Amino acid sequence: MGEVELSCLAYVKMYLHACLFPRCSVNGLLLSSSPAGGAVCVTDCVPLLHSHLPLAPITQLALTQVDVWCAQTQQRIVGYYQANACVSDCSPTPCALKIADKIAEQCNNAVLLMIDGGKMSPDYRVPPIVMYERKDSRWTLKDKHTIMLRQWEETREIAGQLLDSGDHSLLVDFDSHLDDITRDWTNQKLNAKIAELASPANV
Amino acid sequence: MRDKLRKWREDNHRNSEQIVDVAEELINEHASKLGDDIWIIYEQVMIAALDCSRDDLAWTCLQELKKQFPGSQRVKRLGGMRLEALEKYEEAGKQYDSILQEDPTNTAARKRKISILKAQGKNTDAIRELNEYLELFVGDQEAWHELSDLYINEHDYGKAAFCLEELMMTNPHNHLYCEQYAEVKYTQGGLENLELSRKYFAQALKLNNRNMRALFGLYMSASHIAASPKVNAAVKKANVKYAAWAANQINRAYQLAGRGTKENKCSVKAVEEMLESMQITMS
Repeated sequence: MGEVELSCLAYVKMYLHACLFPRCSVNGLLLSSSPAGGAVCVTDCVPLLHSHLPLAPITQLALTQVDVWCAQTQQRIVGYYQANACVSDCSPTPCALKIADKIAEQCNNAVLLMIDGGKMSPDYRVPPIVMYERKDSRWTLKDKHTIMLRQWEETREIAGQLLDSGDHSLLVDFDSHLDDITRDWTNQKLNAKIAELASPANV
Repeated sequence: MRDKLRKWREDNHRNSEQIVDVAEELINEHASKLGDDIWIIYEQVMIAALDCSRDDLAWTCLQELKKQFPGSQRVKRLGGMRLEALEKYEEAGKQYDSILQEDPTNTAARKRKISILKAQGKNTDAIRELNEYLELFVGDQEAWHELSDLYINEHDYGKAAFCLEELMMTNPHNHLYCEQYAEVKYTQGGLENLELSRKYFAQALKLNNRNMRALFGLYMSASHIAASPKVNAAVKKANVKYAAWAANQINRAYQLAGRGTKENKCSVKAVEEMLESMQITMS
């Protein structure tokens, strides 16, 4: 299948989401602002839940709301990510497969991304992610060479910086939004911070 | 500082990073002023330190407690927890077994053994052990909740619902249990479960009218029932009414939340559109 590019913004937010809730399984959606066809460019992500991932109502609600937001902002849902609470096992759970299937119905080169908790130590050299794509109705491991993270060193730096400064607590996932609806699950504030750190002036 | 730590202890907060930050200063500088409180603070700090991988701090606390309370089972359990944090599960298990040999009714040691199974990813074993535990200690709320979580992760929604029913019986005013039960029923699916889920979402709202999950849950379950071809006109009408009420409440809540902050304009708009689009599919 095709190439997948993962943007700094998407990676950093996913990473911070997993760091914010180290004792829970977390999940979220991967979005793209590029048109369909050709390589998949994951340009953003929306962190969803950190509790009771297999339960349906909130997941359905979140999918619907993100769908609406995407239509308003010319983005598409192109994938799903999950980080399991148990670091020794980063294989997709049944609920991950189910949600990824649903996304694949609307987007035929959707990706399923599992964050490998075991590889998330501060001195990791490679992105702690495992990606799956849909081949013959099954989710199969994607060839590492078709996954691109431009400027990986800078991305890693930014993620580390935000974690050290405690700014990861700025991240709002859908679960947190439901606890306090004044908090913004589109994370405009955090996006701005990441963009600032990523701008050429800072590199 | 002392009061903060006490509050966190009483509310069972797991804000380990904060506790560790506060505690180092407290212990180093003010130990003499804490009096007998220091022992319970050592325990609290030790557990927080384990949570943050601060084995150095945990070790210090453990030594102090061992000196003061030699042979104490409570301290022995803390030693076991440290071994767990270092992933030395077999040794930790042996530690807990020795506690249980002396005192077979020690619930803390039994629960730690189950936590070890969970940490190792052995969910089915953990479930079996927890069920056995609950046969003996049927009133342990924390255990019932843990069991319901384990069942949810194994997609065994029927048994998860049973655990939540136990919790609701003993805690009829807890809106969170009602709401979780409703979510499980919704996930199970089917008209009967949807109707039950709607009732329990409504109950959760009665107990706490600011529970957004319950409000959205009520909206979604009522909408799905109304849209189902299997219901008669009267039921459909009633559910359309419930859904409309819920939609109204949701809109109001978001309007209130959206006032004055530019931040969540996106979320507010998304909700509005979502409610509109769901209305169309319902009618």
